[in-house]
Amino acid sequence: MTMMSSAGRPRGVSEKLSRLNWTIITLLCALAVTGVIMHFSVAEGSWAGRPLAHGSRFALVLGAVIAISLLDARVWLAIAYPVYFGTLLLLVGVEFFGETRMGATRWLDLGPVSLQPSEIMKIGIVLALARYFQNLEPRHAGTLLWSIPPLLMIGAPVALVMKQPDLGTALMITFAGVGIMFLAGLRWRYIIPAAGAAIGGAVAAYFFVLHQYQRDRINTFINPDADPLGTGYHVSQSKIAIGSAGLFGKGYLQGSQSQLDFLPEKHTDFIFTMIGEEFGLMGAIAVLGLYFALFLLTMAVAMRARTMFGRLAAAGIAVTLGLYVIINTSMVIGLMPVVGIPLPLISFGGTAMLTLMAGYAIVLSIDLHRDQAATRGLLW
Amino acid sequence: MSTAKRDLHSVFSRRALLVSGGATVMMGAIVSRLAYLQAENAATSFARERRFGAGVYDEGARDNRFDQRIIAPPRGVLYDRFGEALAVTSPDYRVTLVPEQVGRKNLEKVIAQVGEILAMQPETVARKTREALAAKQSDVVIIRQGLRWDEFSAINVRLPELPGVRAESSLVRRYPQDIAFAHPIGYVQKPNQREIDTVLAAGDQRRAVYLRNPDVRVGKSGLEASLENDIHGEAGWRMVEVNAAGRVVNELGGETRDPKPGRGVVLTIDAEVQRAAMERMAGLSGACVVMDVLTGDLIAMASSPGFNPNEFVNGISTARFKELNEDPYKPLFHKAVTGAYSPGSTFKICTGIAALDAGVPTSYRVNCPGYFPFGGRNFHCWQRKGHGSVDMHAAMKGSCDCYFYQVALRAGQQSLADHARMLGLGVKYDIGVPSVSPGVVPDKAWWESKRRDPMPAGIVLNTAIGQGDLLASPLQLAVMMARVANGGLEVKPRLVREGPGVGPLEKPRQLPINQEALKAVLFGCFGVASEPGGTSYRSTGNLGLWYDPATNAVTESPTQPPGLLQVQMGGKTGTAQVRAITAAERARGVKSNNKLEWRMRDHALYVCYGPVHKPRYACAIVIEHGGSDEVRFPGTAGYIGGGSAAAAPIAADVMRLVMLKDPSSRAVASVRSLEARNDPTPQKPDRSPA
Repeated sequence: MTMMSSAGRPRGVSEKLSRLNWTIITLLCALAVTGVIMHFSVAEGSWAGRPLAHGSRFALVLGAVIAISLLDARVWLAIAYPVYFGTLLLLVGVEFFGETRMGATRWLDLGPVSLQPSEIMKIGIVLALARYFQNLEPRHAGTLLWSIPPLLMIGAPVALVMKQPDLGTALMITFAGVGIMFLAGLRWRYIIPAAGAAIGGAVAAYFFVLHQYQRDRINTFINPDADPLGTGYHVSQSKIAIGSAGLFGKGYLQGSQSQLDFLPEKHTDFIFTMIGEEFGLMGAIAVLGLYFALFLLTMAVAMRARTMFGRLAAAGIAVTLGLYVIINTSMVIGLMPVVGIPLPLISFGGTAMLTLMAGYAIVLSIDLHRDQAATRGLLW
Repeated sequence: MSTAKRDLHSVFSRRALLVSGGATVMMGAIVSRLAYLQAENAATSFARERRFGAGVYDEGARDNRFDQRIIAPPRGVLYDRFGEALAVTSPDYRVTLVPEQVGRKNLEKVIAQVGEILAMQPETVARKTREALAAKQSDVVIIRQGLRWDEFSAINVRLPELPGVRAESSLVRRYPQDIAFAHPIGYVQKPNQREIDTVLAAGDQRRAVYLRNPDVRVGKSGLEASLENDIHGEAGWRMVEVNAAGRVVNELGGETRDPKPGRGVVLTIDAEVQRAAMERMAGLSGACVVMDVLTGDLIAMASSPGFNPNEFVNGISTARFKELNEDPYKPLFHKAVTGAYSPGSTFKICTGIAALDAGVPTSYRVNCPGYFPFGGRNFHCWQRKGHGSVDMHAAMKGSCDCYFYQVALRAGQQSLADHARMLGLGVKYDIGVPSVSPGVVPDKAWWESKRRDPMPAGIVLNTAIGQGDLLASPLQLAVMMARVANGGLEVKPRLVREGPGVGPLEKPRQLPINQEALKAVLFGCFGVASEPGGTSYRSTGNLGLWYDPATNAVTESPTQPPGLLQVQMGGKTGTAQVRAITAAERARGVKSNNKLEWRMRDHALYVCYGPVHKPRYACAIVIEHGGSDEVRFPGTAGYIGGGSAAAAPIAADVMRLVMLKDPSSRAVASVRSLEARNDPTPQKPDRSPA
């Protein structure tokens, strides 16, 4: 079903529709449906509430994504900086007017909707950096001097997000940004010492920058059994759930850990545990397989794109997706400290779904318009 | 800087492949971790017992779903000899919470809500909040207990909005007799941290968890402490299925073990006599022990003032405990067995027997001029003007010190000490309560173990009249009286009639004491109590009790009914000097004891037995600082010692009750019959609104 169509710019809406990357859309749908199925189980077998909300929200967003992806890809180039700096302003706004939920100030109340600017920034950083490298002269690419602006572009939102505090999102913005710099050709001679400095910095940050709860999470990660009822509770419980599930799980709606409310945050960050408990090792691998296929297809889109912006933007979305999935599943199974990153499209929560789907609007659009010469913007 | 032109598009492609490869490696790591978690589980489950088929994480899953709830066992009931309940276990309704289930942030709010529903004092709410914040997160914290049924219902209705709060019923120890049995029975309390630490140090994790359960109480004093292992019972449990909020979603009936109630215990004490003794001593500091002279059964063992053991069960406040602990009347002190007093003149019973045993004839007479010169100084008789010529009987009746000084010299210190031990002094009795005082019986060996200088000869004179180093508890004085009254049988006191470690009553040994000596001294006691001129005759001479010589049945009447004989008793007064009045005080005009501060006045003692025609009961009473020389009774000679004024009237009233009721002749209750009576209906709350 993959559309490996060759040259020629699509013209009409129906032609554009037929040339859309339906494989990616199918994978997105499959993941969202998995989410609905799991929320049905979380709700102890009821459609009302989360399962329905999750499904209808996805359907709505998917429609919008398809519509938007039909627009000219140069739109993204044009709005890259406005989106980035607008979001940066919102982040500053959060600092002053933000709403505190569950101990962190992440939400901005804008009348009928409240949103997390830090989530938009996950896409904003990708767009802005892709935009930056699009126009960078090739001889400057990867040099030290010309790496300073992108580093600042990464550093500013990361600092603001850390302050909220939201370690997970800060990590994701950092990794996505650094990933794009790497893909854009940052030279190895800078990469290696920088990586060394980063590790040293992380150790220093542990002692001087991190909040106690963040330190606790790291300590818990290193030895989760030390305090199984305190900070280590989440991880111990999800390890119990997954470890006891067996190859094919305890059966849908049968997970004792999940169904009896032992799993905390099981509809959001820890939903992977529930998949593991109810569908077993095979179920977990199947879901991971969906994500991995989506990642590879997105990377393929990036490789096929002709413009540097298209390549870096699509690859940046792929990296963002990969980070979501790897960070989330790793923390759930005790490979990583708990940082509060949802499993995209499956975890309940509008903002994360919106973020990723916005990213895929970009990816689909880039793929659809891959033959376009996009050296100059659409709007000027 | 290298100027070699780089094809950024191929750099991107290479690096995109690298990133994809990195993602693949991480995916692989996650999948292998998932597989590892299950393999680990499978491996342990294989190694474990097959029948469970459970691995580490399976077990985790089961632990979480199924919570083992400890059910504290009902403690064994303590009864008096006729089956009256002294310590019972009854249901209590209470509100508890588990901090970790409420959530630290909500703790304050939730406790405030509970406080509002139950109309609790703000300071209590504040204290409970502090307590809950300080508690271990998984511990159960009791917010309030002893709820009335309407309060219990009110909280039950509101439970859905109070996460982590539970309303439950539990068993609680109660002491229906309040203060009357505080000392012999003691009380239970929550195990303290030190006890839990001791258990932990011994490596008994399970027991430590058990002790931390809020329903668990252990005996802290009296019989509750010493019988702990037998009356505690065995804990039961029930398995419940709970969700993470601790809410029980399912009771798993099959995996329940009922708790095993602790053993019931029947005491030798007659609650009626005990209460009477406590009432009679109200306002005084002292002790009263009543004993069956043939069996050693302790009919009463009262220490005054008492305290209410119910105050201790659910934790006594520091302020209240301090108040009790610092009270000069020492309510927490078990005076009857732990108190050690100079026996004073009551010890003349022993001195007299030792002298007669040593060959002094009963007709031996001594002239008492009011003092006895010995070793270059004068030893005074309490009767300054002297008793004149007295024999044994007159010396007992008038409590003549001079007589006993002289006969004691003939017997010698060692003989006094030997007889004191035979009669039960200086011996520690195992009656089942802790802190039993052995008292002190001074002899040469004792002196040499304490002092380097040679024992002075004059010490025998001090011992003769029960002063000096000699110390005895009220319990020991009762034993002494009993062994004399029963004709030299070595009865041992007992407090537990039916219970752990209690065998059939052993036939007491006959002590190697001259029967004539015992009889003569007993006759002396009779003179003290029942002959005009005896030091306690005024209060003990006429009890208003009469008996039928044919049937021994006792009746009470102010005047003698025709054909009946008077029930009489024998006794011996004693006044133990706490402190001599100093020359300086004498100069200030302090001549008599009652002008002294209370804590410096003499102790008043009285030991007695009855009825004279058929001795069955012995009684010893000590009233601390009860000495007073102000009270004078007509018909008695001169100065009346403290024993006759403060202690003898109490003894008379207690003995009168005992001899009238004659508890030893009545059928005693057995645990089995009592439990059969109590068992069939477990108590249910009255659910109908009042």
